[in-house]
Amino acid sequence: MSETCKVSSERRGDVAILWTDGYINNQGGEEIAKEAYSRLEQGARALVLNLEKTRIVNSIGISILIEVLEKVMDRKGVLAFCGLTPTIDKTFRIMGLAQYAEIYPTQEDALRGVEAKTA
Amino acid sequence: MTAPVSPQQAARLEELWKRIAGILASEDPLPSRIAEAALIATGAQDATVYLKERDAWVRSGPKLSGGVDPGEIPDPLPSVAFVREGDLWVPLATEGEIHGLLRLLGIPGEEALENGPLLGFLFGSLVGAHRLARLVRDAEFELKARLLELESLYDLGLSLGGQLDLSSLADEVLFRSISLTDAGRGTLVLLEESGTVLLERSVGTEILTAKDAPGWTLPAGGLINNAAASGDTAGAALSCEKALAVEISVAGRRLGVLAVADKESRDGRVLDFTPTDARLLSLFANQAAAAIETARLHKEALEKERIERELELAAAIQRQILPRDLPNVPGLAIAARNVPTRQVGGDYFDVFPLSGGRLAFLVADVSGKGVPAALLVSTVHAAVHLQIDEAPTIRDLVKRIDRHLQRYAVTRKFLTAFFGLLEPGTGVLRYVSAGHNPALLRRSGGDVEQLKATGVPMGMFPNATWTEETLSMAKGDLLCVYSDGITEALDASDEEFGLPRLSRLLDSSPPDEICRRVFDAVASFAADVPQYDDQTLLLIHRT
Repeated sequence: MSETCKVSSERRGDVAILWTDGYINNQGGEEIAKEAYSRLEQGARALVLNLEKTRIVNSIGISILIEVLEKVMDRKGVLAFCGLTPTIDKTFRIMGLAQYAEIYPTQEDALRGVEAKTA
Repeated sequence: MTAPVSPQQAARLEELWKRIAGILASEDPLPSRIAEAALIATGAQDATVYLKERDAWVRSGPKLSGGVDPGEIPDPLPSVAFVREGDLWVPLATEGEIHGLLRLLGIPGEEALENGPLLGFLFGSLVGAHRLARLVRDAEFELKARLLELESLYDLGLSLGGQLDLSSLADEVLFRSISLTDAGRGTLVLLEESGTVLLERSVGTEILTAKDAPGWTLPAGGLINNAAASGDTAGAALSCEKALAVEISVAGRRLGVLAVADKESRDGRVLDFTPTDARLLSLFANQAAAAIETARLHKEALEKERIERELELAAAIQRQILPRDLPNVPGLAIAARNVPTRQVGGDYFDVFPLSGGRLAFLVADVSGKGVPAALLVSTVHAAVHLQIDEAPTIRDLVKRIDRHLQRYAVTRKFLTAFFGLLEPGTGVLRYVSAGHNPALLRRSGGDVEQLKATGVPMGMFPNATWTEETLSMAKGDLLCVYSDGITEALDASDEEFGLPRLSRLLDSSPPDEICRRVFDAVASFAADVPQYDDQTLLLIHRT
């Protein structure tokens, strides 16, 4: 059995924070997408993905995150990441996620960043 | 001649095209858009779009994850539109390559049937363009993924180079291996030199049982895409069907095994690992091997440093115990020297005056080295100084110290010792030699007598006894007590310095001079041969 990724979320005004816990692979990516789309449907304009409890991301997980990012951008929304390990941070930058989504060190920084962008 | 289009018809067609254009420009998945546009364009009752996604067919719907039943797709694929059982099948193709099929059900009339091939051309172009865009995007993604692999190898090298903690190092290697091979899970086992398991890490259910790691025979290249059929012990032991397992080794010595399993695909299937995955994992294993070896050597260096600190401490203990100054006793000239070896040994000497002008002295050699030996020396030193005034004779002193050692010594060690009590005025010497090398007494006339052991070493046997000897030192006589580091010093041909050489160096010169001469002679004899035993010499000359 693969390591299962759990995703939880919370709405704070226009922003939805998603917390991941575990490996972002196919299953983890789908969990994130499901939660993210649900929050977008409920009217969230910005998503903050807090990955501080994730140590591994594979290419399938990344491709799903790109799909989520595209969906957010189609809606003129904002997506931000925070709590990345140095390895995941570099992975996101190389794979192009950082081109359209901001990466912040902490959740507080990310919330301040997306609130400024959606204001 | 065709009838001109009426304004009403034109308006209706314009409205129709607008609707179709709106549908095609929407954000819905492309097959859904095509199906919906086709329904409007033809007036059919239902439409289904089948698309070839890599090596599998998918059907249009809210998500492209619906499976397609065997036999649902016409075989062979039609190159032109055709009608079967009332349904119109239109190949969606560009440049002769079929990307998909449009199936229209309940076609209202011939006009719609005639439009079928045109729809195929239009929608085929759309699918082709879409596919091309996706191919470009996939290629870009692949390129970035390859770049990520290279960067990861580089980063891993840097990171592991500075990583001396084996646990963090193992995580780093395992996480990157799983991530870059798209594996669902992974296991890393590191082994001690003896083959016992040093560390085991798993993400997801463990792939391999750690205790079996030393004996695995792994397949060449590491690929195990059918574990059940694998003849390798690793394959047979795997808890999965498809895996990749490589050895972490240095100079043919197995340091561990790195394994990943369940390579994922976007559609949820478990894929075979590829030779590229195997090469990548091998590169990781090579880097990990170098880093693990470095970490192990670092651990060894720390251990060596700890031992050296311990020896420093032992040396400090010894330095505190050895007398800093020799007593000035009328009628006697005394010289003494102790040269410890690099590894702290257990030589110990002491010379101190007692009441009534007597002189107590001893030379002892404790078995073993390092802190345990230094602690025993410390114990003996304390016992001697506490007991010497209480003990009626030297023999009693030796017995009391022996009893103390038998009762309280922490380690099972023993010591040889020469205890002496000299009355400078009369020259009467009482001594006990507990298994010590024979002391030498050079008479003023030049004869050298050996004062042999009067009992066994101390701390060795529970009920040991010693005899006490008495002799008289005349004026001009020289007593030489030493440790075996002097007489057993070795030269390059493994010959010992020996008692005769020491005896010949004893003459009527002042003890200081003789002492210097003895150490010079021993050093010259041993030349550059490292010595592993302390060297101690005590000379007492009755003037």
